[in-house]
Amino acid sequence: MRTNKLTPYLFLLPGCAILGAFIFYPMIQAIWMSLTDYNMITDPNYIALENYEKLFQDDLFWKTLKNTFIYVIGVVPALVIIPIFMAVLVNQNLKGIGFFRSAYYIPVVTSLVVAGIAWDWVYKENGLLNYILELVGVLTEPIPWLSSTDTAIFAVMIVTIWKGLGYYMIIYLAGLQSIPHELYEAAQIDGANWWKQMTKITIPMLMPFVLIVTIMSSIAGMKVFEEIYVMTGGGPLHSSETLVFYIYKEAFDRLNMGYASAAGVVLFLLTLVFSLINIKVMGKDKTV
Amino acid sequence: MNKKNGFIALLLLAVMMFVAACGNEKDGSTEPEKDTGKETSGEETTIEFWTMQLQPTFTDYIQGVIDDFEEQNPTIKIDWLDVPAADLDKKILTAVSSKTAPDVVNLNPTFASRLASLDALVNMDEALTDEQKALYVKGAWEANELNGNIFAIPWYLSTEVTLNNKAIYEEAGLDPESPATTYEEAKEYSKIIKEKTGKYGYYPSLDLSLVLQHMVVMGAELTNEDRTKAAFNTAEGLKAFEYFTELYEEKLIPSDALTGDQRNTIDMYQAGQVAFFAGSQFISQIKENAPDIYENTLPSGAITGDSGKKTMSVQNIVVPSQSKNQEAAVQFALFLTNAENQLAFTKLTPILPSALEALDDPYFTEVGEDAEPSDLVRIKSAEQLVDAELLVPPMENYDELREAMLDALSESMLGNKTPQEALDQAEEAWNAILSK
Repeated sequence: MRTNKLTPYLFLLPGCAILGAFIFYPMIQAIWMSLTDYNMITDPNYIALENYEKLFQDDLFWKTLKNTFIYVIGVVPALVIIPIFMAVLVNQNLKGIGFFRSAYYIPVVTSLVVAGIAWDWVYKENGLLNYILELVGVLTEPIPWLSSTDTAIFAVMIVTIWKGLGYYMIIYLAGLQSIPHELYEAAQIDGANWWKQMTKITIPMLMPFVLIVTIMSSIAGMKVFEEIYVMTGGGPLHSSETLVFYIYKEAFDRLNMGYASAAGVVLFLLTLVFSLINIKVMGKDKTV
Repeated sequence: MNKKNGFIALLLLAVMMFVAACGNEKDGSTEPEKDTGKETSGEETTIEFWTMQLQPTFTDYIQGVIDDFEEQNPTIKIDWLDVPAADLDKKILTAVSSKTAPDVVNLNPTFASRLASLDALVNMDEALTDEQKALYVKGAWEANELNGNIFAIPWYLSTEVTLNNKAIYEEAGLDPESPATTYEEAKEYSKIIKEKTGKYGYYPSLDLSLVLQHMVVMGAELTNEDRTKAAFNTAEGLKAFEYFTELYEEKLIPSDALTGDQRNTIDMYQAGQVAFFAGSQFISQIKENAPDIYENTLPSGAITGDSGKKTMSVQNIVVPSQSKNQEAAVQFALFLTNAENQLAFTKLTPILPSALEALDDPYFTEVGEDAEPSDLVRIKSAEQLVDAELLVPPMENYDELREAMLDALSESMLGNKTPQEALDQAEEAWNAILSK
């Protein structure tokens, strides 16, 4: 009897210890650091909210915040909607469908740095994209995709979307396979066409998964870093610099660890609010 | 219920102990730091030595130096760790912040100066005797000066050598034997090459500190003597801004120049799309990746501007002040950078030694019959060393300064501002940063 009560906690212990040491402890540490002038080398001094004051007066911080929102708004709908159709597509019982499932999944397991360099070649002035567009006569002059303030951030977004599609597709695929087949049979008997089945059965039944994907992709969108680091370095003129890139730069290029932590805390709060809104809004939809 | 609460408390305690253990380690290791240098007289001292991406190419060489040193100093043991270049900054920072810094590290001046500005490195001006200091190339030694302290011992050097693709020169009707030597010529050549071949002529990278470097070469002073005010808002500074803006507007350089890093420049040279660029340090890479281009490469002196200045890059050896064995660490650093060891190193790759004596070797002065482009790079590079200096000195808040200049130049190149307006913007930003 006694051991029965203990057992579940013992199972939890390793997980709690690891999470505590590597997630919660650093999180609390970062909040503390944001109130100091820590530079990784000398001992931190407590400076109250000075970092936050400086942060809110920094134009670049607001610019990166705006870029982050543009990024999330651009990336999340694509990552929520397109994978549904991809999942439906690869959910068919066709010969060799396994190949397509893996093919769509390959970008997910490709190193982002490698993918970033490859995409860099695609976007270059003399790269693949400009070449094709000129070949088919859409362009007469190459577009500097990554060096124009108008296009840089959107060009990088495409890479994030390309890389994420397969991952979310798998989540939806798991969702699709959990939908009872009888529902479709009944709908077919009632004369529902493919589109009706999609909108009346598939999508409503997938709502919990849509919620997960929305939260995950918006968090991922807010945390975007590697693509930008590899492809544009935040440029030109900070037009593709997002909040995480800004934090990285302040922390590791300039050793302003306290200041960067303050920006990190702001990012944490934003992500939290975002997730809460998502759960509230989508949670309601689920009951429809 | 009580039992349950008791167990939760126990669980929490376990987690807290685990977490506290992580924290304690840091405090524990701060203590022995105080008896700096004392251990060197003890039984056996172990020196932790970090290099920047030298394995596997130079494993035998470095291990050989270590073995020699250990043989001569039986009480000192060297513990060598090679770190990938991209990780070194972070790894050293983590080590310094957790007070477990290594004893001897290979760093570049820019990053080392950031550590030095926080007093994290041993001042070599005090650690070395005057005779020891005199063994090094003066410009290289002075390259590591920050606020009156010398924060590193120079290890290996290079000067900028232009690599010219002879085939493109010939295709454009230019003589590869008289390559561009000034910025003005470079622009003229670029125009001709673009017109005749559709390829790019000169591709100056704007990555890292290169914008600042171009400005200095063109004759602009970056700051006043005591580094408190910007000094580049002059005719020379304006000329530099105008130069790059014109190159960009007239499409004489690829638009990728604005955001691309140096990799971009090398890629295009290797692909035979750029006629010349400053890339002596990449000659081995070009030999391996693009043998045809390598065969067609003719090295020439660095492109200069009104100042006539030539740039020198320095790789350093530093001793973090957290080191518990500073004396032994400096001793090893001196051994590693002595003339004999440096000469052996420079024979493995096209770099120059910082030890004066090693530079006298015929290896750096005489061109052999069957000289390859990489040999010519070495000779050219050594030839320029006397006039070369570190053009962008270590500065506090360097990264912010660098970014402010690139931002301003980008405004001008993209046509958002005139070169003069952009220069004013840069001056204002620099004055704000320098007054911090």
